[in-house]
Amino acid sequence: MGKQIITLTVNGEKHEVAAEPRELLVHTLRETLKLTGPHVGCETSHCGACTVDIDGKSVKSCTMFAAQADGAEITTIEGIATPDGMHVLQEMFREHHGLQCGFCTPGMITRAYRLLQENPNPTEEEVRFGIAGNLCRCTGYQNIVKAILAAAAELNASKEAAQ
Amino acid sequence: MYNFEFEKPATIADAVAALGAEDAQALGGGQTLLPTMKQRLAMPTKLVSLSGIGEMQGVCSNNDGSLSIGGATTHATVAAEAAAQYPALADLASHIGDPAVRNRGTIGGSLANNDPAACYPAAALGSGATIVTNAREIAADDYFQGLFTTALEEGEIITGVRFPVPEAANYQKFLQPASRFALVGVFVAKFADGVRVAVTGASEDGVFRWSEAEQALSASFSPEAVNGLQVDPANMMGDIHGTKEYRAHLIGVLTKRAVAAAS
Amino acid sequence: MSVAKPLPHDAARLHVTGAARYVDDTPTPRGTLHLAFGLSQVAKGRITSLDLAPVRSSPGVVAVLTAEDLPFDNDVSPSNHDEPLLSDGTVNYIGQPLFLVLASSHRAARVAARKAVIGYAEETPLLTLDQALAADSRFEDGPRIYEKGDAAAAIAAAPRVVEGTFDLGGQEHFYLEGQAALALPQEDGGMLVNSSTQHPTEIQHKVAEAIGLPMHAVRVETRRMGGGFGGKESQGNALAVACALAARHTGLPCKMRYDRDDDMVITGKRHAFRISYRAGFDADGRLLGLEFTHLVNCGWAQDLSLPVADRAMLHSDNAYAIPAIRIESHRLKTNLQSATAYRGFGGPQGMVGIERVMDHIAHDLDLDPVELRRRNYYAAPGTATGDNTTPYGMEVSDFELHEMTAQLLQSADYAARRAEITAWNERHARLKRGLAFSPVKFGISFTLTHLNQAGALVHVYQDGSVHLNHGGTEMGQGLFQKVAQVAASRFGIPLEKVKITATDTAKVPNTSATAASSGSDLNGMAVMAACDTIRARMADHLARLHQLTPAEVIFDGGSVRIGATVEISFDEAAKLCYEGRISLSSTGFYKTPKLEWDRIKGQGRPFFYFAYGAALTEVVVDRLTGENRILRADILHDAGASLNPALDIGQVEGGYVQGAGWLTTEELVWDDKGALRTHAPSTYKIPACSDRPDVFNVALYDGQNREETIYRSKAVGEPPFMLGISAWLALSDAVASFGTTYPALNAPATAEEIWHAARRVSDGV
Repeated sequence: MGKQIITLTVNGEKHEVAAEPRELLVHTLRETLKLTGPHVGCETSHCGACTVDIDGKSVKSCTMFAAQADGAEITTIEGIATPDGMHVLQEMFREHHGLQCGFCTPGMITRAYRLLQENPNPTEEEVRFGIAGNLCRCTGYQNIVKAILAAAAELNASKEAAQ
Repeated sequence: MYNFEFEKPATIADAVAALGAEDAQALGGGQTLLPTMKQRLAMPTKLVSLSGIGEMQGVCSNNDGSLSIGGATTHATVAAEAAAQYPALADLASHIGDPAVRNRGTIGGSLANNDPAACYPAAALGSGATIVTNAREIAADDYFQGLFTTALEEGEIITGVRFPVPEAANYQKFLQPASRFALVGVFVAKFADGVRVAVTGASEDGVFRWSEAEQALSASFSPEAVNGLQVDPANMMGDIHGTKEYRAHLIGVLTKRAVAAAS
Repeated sequence: MSVAKPLPHDAARLHVTGAARYVDDTPTPRGTLHLAFGLSQVAKGRITSLDLAPVRSSPGVVAVLTAEDLPFDNDVSPSNHDEPLLSDGTVNYIGQPLFLVLASSHRAARVAARKAVIGYAEETPLLTLDQALAADSRFEDGPRIYEKGDAAAAIAAAPRVVEGTFDLGGQEHFYLEGQAALALPQEDGGMLVNSSTQHPTEIQHKVAEAIGLPMHAVRVETRRMGGGFGGKESQGNALAVACALAARHTGLPCKMRYDRDDDMVITGKRHAFRISYRAGFDADGRLLGLEFTHLVNCGWAQDLSLPVADRAMLHSDNAYAIPAIRIESHRLKTNLQSATAYRGFGGPQGMVGIERVMDHIAHDLDLDPVELRRRNYYAAPGTATGDNTTPYGMEVSDFELHEMTAQLLQSADYAARRAEITAWNERHARLKRGLAFSPVKFGISFTLTHLNQAGALVHVYQDGSVHLNHGGTEMGQGLFQKVAQVAASRFGIPLEKVKITATDTAKVPNTSATAASSGSDLNGMAVMAACDTIRARMADHLARLHQLTPAEVIFDGGSVRIGATVEISFDEAAKLCYEGRISLSSTGFYKTPKLEWDRIKGQGRPFFYFAYGAALTEVVVDRLTGENRILRADILHDAGASLNPALDIGQVEGGYVQGAGWLTTEELVWDDKGALRTHAPSTYKIPACSDRPDVFNVALYDGQNREETIYRSKAVGEPPFMLGISAWLALSDAVASFGTTYPALNAPATAEEIWHAARRVSDGV
């Protein structure tokens, strides 16, 4: 019943943390590891503000025990940027005004990041379906979709250029 | 939520043993169990995670043409890997919840919980699937026993589900738009020996077979065969999301759509 | 010049990297306590027993406070002191805070709060408008009545009359960041509060009252909110006051955030209405007389219900010149959450009323609904031949909708699409498409005149960098950026030189809430005043140094040109002025001119100007299930000379989607005991990505504010919300094509509501 030691590799850094089994991953990230990018919006797996990337999959960290993530590789919004600067997605969200109050943004970008890994050239419909689990109350989603499509275009262009 | 012990066994045998403890609860993806525990509607003293058990993962074809899915297989995996052999099942899986939920939720977890508005019960009952546990095999017709109630014994684990693959099938889901559960969901499957129609989301008792429609569709597999057939609203669920009458009505509409779309 | 440029949100970089801090992200000192309320489970009655022993002995609990423990005021009301922080023994709604738990963690506090054993003497709650009306349970002694002319006589004499009644549901704000506050006790008993609030001065005021000190002992700081929408205008008082009291009690920092479920159960929502109408009109569709009755569900405490209900009355005309009108508004008190401010503040409800009337008349006359509306429009500026005043006597001198309507119908290809959709509907039995237009005329200013004031504080440091502060708060609407663009423009410097700082009651006092869409107007003007004061001093000094006149000192492009030959950088200019002992800091102040309003009589000029918008929405509806989808929305919106077109378009898009959501899928349901059943995102549906229109065309109208507002811009926070009314009207249009009866849709028009309406209209066929 007491705390167990679990190992989480977060944004490339390995951490050994002590957590009670009932501690939710989002709280471990926010309170123990001080990564306050993933936000608590509803704590019931609906709003997506807590979305992180675990072993290459989008997961709502409010509906996972830290213990279930033992041994996993986790990426939060804080780890999305590249060594050279902001990730293209982050640039595009900023440039295309894909945010207003910003609270949904970390989860939204983290989800979009994985979406583009899974489907590098999504249609608008696929983007809509792909971010169905991330709620935004401010923007009406128009610019969020624009930003993701713009990022996809730019990433594909650089891939082609690199070839 | 209350505190509990957490175990993550690597084999079915270890899991069964761990679940022998009092107030122990199996944990699949946690997409239903965690919200339930947060509301303190469930208070297990031990959680036994099934996600580390290799033999419970994966989608595979059997020699007889049926499809076996490990109990700990996520919806996302089913959506991807069952598509070729059983498209209607893959399609159902690909519309459960949202992408992140599908990365965690498992078929075993869904069936063990038997939420009256969940999708998989309709697929299992509609396909005449076999629920395979660590102890025995249970036919879908015997498995679903009412609201959140199944034939599973205390500590019994769904290790896999075996689906006969029909000639044609389709699942139509009318969303409860906030939760994305089925306000009404209808799974239609046409087999050589007849048609099965399983309805979720609508009844107080959970998933059920609409036998009237099954008979009509077995005689003639067309949307028109369902004309004039009506489920009695009295037995349907009425709540803040929809009245009994509306749900009963939707069953007819969705059944016809499923038949029209079945492939 | 920075103004009018489509620059990104000021904190965009922080948001996309996860570095932006909201209250709950703020690092807190060790020992910070966490708070939770114990809530009433009964809608009406008295507490007969309150056993808190199990709460006190729950793990991690440090203290439990009840009303008896409160040393001074026990009130969090923004209006008439009728809303105790903690119950004094009476309970008024399910979700009312009864006691306050202080514990070592958020979870420990919440767990403990549920352990109280409470006995109630239950009374029968009043939950519906009918129950409240029957019991004469209301705010104010009777209905508020505004009238112009003799509506009853006009209707009696009218060739045609339509009448009806419909229900209009409330709305949950669902700001993604829930309510949150943090209080740090200061050495002298004062308090520093970090609050997610639209109204730092109100927080300061209520906290000061609660801890028995003058306002000068309390400082409130707000860097941002993760959404507000009106839900953080007064609803944040309870958390901040609770934190301050707990901090005073323990000497420790105290933090409180509502869990989402608790947030939805405790806080107030948009006022639900029932609107009845009787409209008399002629064969051409011209309105002759109109009677409205508004039944307003205010919940249990007054909060901001009076101005909300007033504003609903003030928007019962929307864009139409109505010769005779009578509006009777009943502010009914029920045992539900105390309804509060929400984007539009009653305006949307009043507007839905008149738009419903127009929809009904158009159906009755089989007249094109856009043509009908145009026939009733106010006169364009300079073209009025008769009375062109609103029901409350204000001249409409800036009416843009003739031109805007023409432009929108053209760009959205209305005529062709209308014909095509009608033809398509004739060929289809199960699916029908609908197309509808709605205009918006929204009055800008607080109706409580003294709130129309704002202050600013600007420092130019000796290195030329600028520190900007004002009373407006940032909740995503881009206020901070727009006002910073103003500051940069006034000094002629790049935007990067202006540091945007958190709203702070220690820097600017006595501020109003960031509400009424007035944030940019009021604070932009105050900042302009401060910047211009400093610039004038600088120009004066530099002119003297060169024996020139101040008019020859030009601030532009980061430089200062002094006469024809001298050019220095702004930074150098600042240094010179500092060395010349010129004050480079100034406050700024602004108050809206021309306002004058009597809310009892319902006469005067409550608004400085009107903001306009027009929307055309296309939907498709399935008769068999009521399923529907928005296919296309075309919007033309008037933001005056926009301070930042990108941010303004963001407001228009977000406002439209939120407005459409209110009228379609967002359904609040209470059970017959008064418990809110839809208290989570699993049961309360806000628009998700796939709900927005398939085709979404938004443009800003090319115009200027006729009044002297900041750079001739117009307020843009609330007006676009009401563009969503066109989505509801489009659903009505689609349903109407199933038969001949008028659909008479309620709101929200959920799938089931539409299914029923379609059956009604098609007579069950």
